[in-house]
Amino acid sequence: MRRIVVALLLLGFMAAWWVTAPSGFSELELPGHTPDAVAGERVFWAGGCASCHATPVNGKRAKGADKLVLGGGMELESPYGVFRVPNISPHADGIGGWSMLEFVNAMQHGVSPAGKHYYPSFPYTSYARAAARDVMDLKAYLDTLSAIAGGPGDHSLSFPWSIRRGIGAWKRLYLDAAPVQASMAEDPLIERGRELVEGLGHCGECHTSRDRFGGLLKDRWLGGAASPEGKGRIPNITAGGENIASWTGSDIAYYLESGFTPEFDTVGGTMVAVQENMAHLTSADREAIAAYLKSVPTVD
Amino acid sequence: MINKNFLRLPVLVAALAIASVAVAGDSPQKARHELMEGVLKAAKVVGPMLKGEAEYDNAAAMKSLTTWQSAAAEFGDLFPEGSDTGEDTEAAPAIWEDRAGFDAALVAWSDAIDVAIAANPATLDDAKPVIGAVFGKCKDCHDGYRIEKE
Repeated sequence: MRRIVVALLLLGFMAAWWVTAPSGFSELELPGHTPDAVAGERVFWAGGCASCHATPVNGKRAKGADKLVLGGGMELESPYGVFRVPNISPHADGIGGWSMLEFVNAMQHGVSPAGKHYYPSFPYTSYARAAARDVMDLKAYLDTLSAIAGGPGDHSLSFPWSIRRGIGAWKRLYLDAAPVQASMAEDPLIERGRELVEGLGHCGECHTSRDRFGGLLKDRWLGGAASPEGKGRIPNITAGGENIASWTGSDIAYYLESGFTPEFDTVGGTMVAVQENMAHLTSADREAIAAYLKSVPTVD
Repeated sequence: MINKNFLRLPVLVAALAIASVAVAGDSPQKARHELMEGVLKAAKVVGPMLKGEAEYDNAAAMKSLTTWQSAAAEFGDLFPEGSDTGEDTEAAPAIWEDRAGFDAALVAWSDAIDVAIAANPATLDDAKPVIGAVFGKCKDCHDGYRIEKE
């Protein structure tokens, strides 16, 4: 009897180990693509990398040229504990020396070069939907930025979130590179918007509410959510949204470009940094985002 | 008895009227709110031009700029100590905690207005960079010195 129990425990442990094992692309799965740093700069802004990874200046978020100082160190307060944002500059303390495969696996599979899971506070759940070639371009761009030494300590999370291996099980439930909204191959503008909103822009990470384990409720896609930082609400940006419902597509594009609403009030809160990133995109990309947002199902 | 109360009423009304005028006149929260409403009204004239929804009109744009110029000159005086709360103010505590930063943001706004007025932009293409810069200063100052209302 005791042997059976031991065998079952062992089997259970092996199953859990297998379920939670980190995995990623193999070298063969990377597209044949020559990384382009100029294209990568647009990916950088679309992905909002600076909003978390730029080192805060005097305790405040970095502005202007300081957004390219990617030494990390920002602290993200969350219901699970404090996440400390790492260095992603091309220094040995950051991503210096990473291979292209390691970088793509970090961005799209949430696996570190050492084979550990990243917490999904790093929105690889969205970046998984980006084109691998865009991610390759991003690395080429990051490699052109200043190498910054040092980095913050580890996250301070509460149990059971502190068990990193457990993210493997979480990923099996929630990491899904498939489009959230059906692909719109017949409308290239909406399709481009889908790539930006669902993928690089990772808009759903804040604008969609989550279940108790932190998985996005895709039937409430972009329907607004409690602020991940605990106070206030992130607005519904579907046609059911109180403010955005009356906005035209060009209102949305202009807001992302200038930071002004149709009432000529200014963008506020955590959206300020996002809008400043979106201002770096082309106007065609901002129009694509607007077209996509106008196409998503209404959430009331 | 009735007479006495009857006599008191106008006195009471007058006292209330004086009190309310005094409150309206004295409250910096209200004064700066109204000043900002004027700024917004002027922005609603120029904004649609920059956005491409209205025809560019130099005279109207210059009128908005002078409205902002006089608002920028007065605005900084409307945040005395003790006016950080009350009357639904959207002023952030950072204004008093980092007064130098707030003052610098106001100067940046005022300077951008002066540049745009000096440019006296004749066309939309001339106006976009200089008035766009003024709009940018609105955003910069709100981000940090204005609280977000639910």
